[in-house]
Amino acid sequence: MRVWWRRYAALVRSAWLVDLQYPAAIAIWMVWNVTEPAIALGIWWSIAGSGTVQGYARDDFVRYFFAVTLINQLTLAWDAWYIDRWVREGELNFRLTRPISPVHEAVSDNIAYKLRTGGAALVLWIAVACFWPAARLAWDPGRWALAALAAVLAAGIRFFNGYATGLLAFWTTRVSALMELQFGISLFLSGRIAPLSFLPPAVVSVAGVLWFPYMLAFPVEILTGAVHTTADYWHGFAGQVAWLVAWWLLYVLVWHRGLKRYGAVGG
Amino acid sequence: MTPAVVAEHLDKVYRVKVRDPGLGGALRALVHPRYEEVRAVADVSFEVGRGEIVAFLGPNGAGKTTTLKMLAGLLYPTAGRASVAGFTPWTGGAAFKRRIALVLGNKQQLLWDLPPEETFQLNQAIYNIPLPLYRQRHDELVELLGLGPLLDKPVRQLSLGERMKCELTAALLHGPEILFLDEPTLGLDVIAQESIRGFLETYRGRFGATVLLTSHYMADVTALASRVLIINRGRLLYDGALHALVARLSPTKRIEVVLGDSVTRDRLAAFGEVQSFQFPNATLDVPREEATVASARLLAALPVLDLSIQDPPIEEVIRTAFEDAS
Amino acid sequence: MSEAPQRVAGLARVLRALLRLNAVEELQYRANFVASVIGTVFSMATALLTLGLFFRHTTRLGGWDYWEVVVLLGIFNALTGVIEAVLRPGIGGLASEVRSGKLDLVLTRPVDAQLFVSFRTLDIWRFSDVVFGLALAGYALVRVGRVPSLVDLVAFAVTFGAAVALVYAMWVALMCLAFWFVAVENISVLFDAFYEAGRYPVSAYPGALRFIFVYLLPIAWVTTVPAGALTGRFGPVTALVASGLALGALVLTRALWRAALRRYTSAGG
Repeated sequence: MRVWWRRYAALVRSAWLVDLQYPAAIAIWMVWNVTEPAIALGIWWSIAGSGTVQGYARDDFVRYFFAVTLINQLTLAWDAWYIDRWVREGELNFRLTRPISPVHEAVSDNIAYKLRTGGAALVLWIAVACFWPAARLAWDPGRWALAALAAVLAAGIRFFNGYATGLLAFWTTRVSALMELQFGISLFLSGRIAPLSFLPPAVVSVAGVLWFPYMLAFPVEILTGAVHTTADYWHGFAGQVAWLVAWWLLYVLVWHRGLKRYGAVGG
Repeated sequence: MTPAVVAEHLDKVYRVKVRDPGLGGALRALVHPRYEEVRAVADVSFEVGRGEIVAFLGPNGAGKTTTLKMLAGLLYPTAGRASVAGFTPWTGGAAFKRRIALVLGNKQQLLWDLPPEETFQLNQAIYNIPLPLYRQRHDELVELLGLGPLLDKPVRQLSLGERMKCELTAALLHGPEILFLDEPTLGLDVIAQESIRGFLETYRGRFGATVLLTSHYMADVTALASRVLIINRGRLLYDGALHALVARLSPTKRIEVVLGDSVTRDRLAAFGEVQSFQFPNATLDVPREEATVASARLLAALPVLDLSIQDPPIEEVIRTAFEDAS
Repeated sequence: MSEAPQRVAGLARVLRALLRLNAVEELQYRANFVASVIGTVFSMATALLTLGLFFRHTTRLGGWDYWEVVVLLGIFNALTGVIEAVLRPGIGGLASEVRSGKLDLVLTRPVDAQLFVSFRTLDIWRFSDVVFGLALAGYALVRVGRVPSLVDLVAFAVTFGAAVALVYAMWVALMCLAFWFVAVENISVLFDAFYEAGRYPVSAYPGALRFIFVYLLPIAWVTTVPAGALTGRFGPVTALVASGLALGALVLTRALWRAALRRYTSAGG
């Protein structure tokens, strides 16, 4: 066990140091991550006018999309594109000859990057909230702790979902298309374009049986105070754990099958 | 003494899509794709003893890298068995991987933006090398390869030769029994190549590791390997000691000249066997031992603008030397 | 005076050769065509669904009704097609070429470097986006219930051309930054980020953003204006202003390019 602790410490440290070399590039990616919620906020701001849309006034939209920005930054999943490239360009080989699975490198990468950028996003939010009251959340550390837990679970779901999709690179060259497809769906079902309650009820029901809300909407709703009852909390966390396990199992399955295929057709 | 590496009748067959050139062919492939079977490795068997250095020699696409990948556990053979350090490579798991190291000549394993020291420390954690043992090996390798001044520079600032030295160090820190090197001297200048070869010989002598390397440079073989395996078109053509191979090889050297004035092919033929003649360029073969003498006579007798002495290309050597075998 | 037509003919020859080369290359990949079309259809469907979601809760967006915004969406797609087919593969690759030093190879050729870099690689399948986009805009125009007059169509053609030129100028400016900030690999992402704002009419944004998009980052001129020209919101005067703007942008960025090249070559690359 201590071996793994030391391994992760070393992996996260390496990833952190590499990230230190790319401040401008990381900043640009953060700008990119802000634009989608910013544009959505602009449109809903215009639609809401001086009234409300389904219970959300302008200020509520501000809080919602700031939360989306933060949680999104903490749950981004980019590994599919790396795996795709590694398989195509033979950079998977040396990773496969190491005595640990490549997934640990990816997890460490995620931890380092998200500590850095999530922290930056949080600091920025606090800074903006200092002179824009609309961006302020009600003081509730208990809720914030639950939101943090939900964010970690959400990041896990999104990670294994992305990684498993990326591993399909063993079979197809269309991994980025698959990621784009899921990304497009999550625009609605994860609550990136609007709170889930804005969608037609039928769509919301469909979303409820899929993993999308648990990847983003649930932690966001905790932060903005849209989760009220204990039952809602239990339902949300249970869903998160269930989908985390499901996608982790899928990852394990695809990984073993994928290795067999890779060994057969090479890379 | 059980051999370190055993390969028995290894076979590897790929299915590859076939496309005709040009716009018409591209359109046809769009509608009706065709496949072809490529036998990358065909019935290759050999044994490597502990502490040996063997070189797999052959032209590009001969099957050397495929064989190496099978022995490293990255590929499953279509047929045949193998045993490396007592394990079947493709089912060996973490225990097997701790006993081997793979270094690829054209693929980077070091962390690009950080000093090589960072990669070394990372490997220490990944391979779970006990700290005192790590320090000992680390210092030994740094000394052997002269890495002192390089340790704190980011890898991207190092030259190709320096990077390869660091790659080797990173690969050897966990003390592997078997070292697989795929084209380790690819793209390096002569000094770096010699330096790598010298290191490998010293390392093997001191630590008794078994080294399997692939190359298409004859010089790698002559400098390093006690034994050479020639692979061409997936088949093992020759497996034996180096000096015996040299005797069988084409006993010629190739002289390439750029001629001045109007030198005819006949005039040139007086100095050796003319292989090609396209004025002003020409190549001719002369017996190996006479190469320098013949060049001197050439330079004295004919107007020569440029002259160089080469080994005949490895593809030709293999073709002419093993025409009977294949 | 015979030099100019000769140079144009020479350039046309080069472009034709490049186009043919790209066509052969692209046909290799059987699924590329299908995938490209599916991708376009999917992203347009997503955009329409998003619009649908907004319009569930309002009847007008920035004063534009639903089908007017769909016209804008169609034009956004058409413009995206031009960007993905020509700009991103061409001038979008400049940043990495500066970093790797491959730009030197381009500079030694007897063709104007800016033109060569801009058009030497095409992703021809992305032109399908242009077709789909214009088709969507046309359909939406029918649903708006307005038949565009000749003046409208000319104004549209002019403003769309100006939009392409403006976007091209923005790419050139952004890529020139690559000369100064060599280490930044993802500069083109900045364009993508702000371009996304072009999906909606500029009047839908709050005042501060509207100001930025009209006067600083001319996103407004890139989709809102051509869409408005087609639906008759903007007339010939706007078209003239747009073309003037585009021309000015091209001249400005050409100067920027030359300055960047001077710095590149004098600094030793």
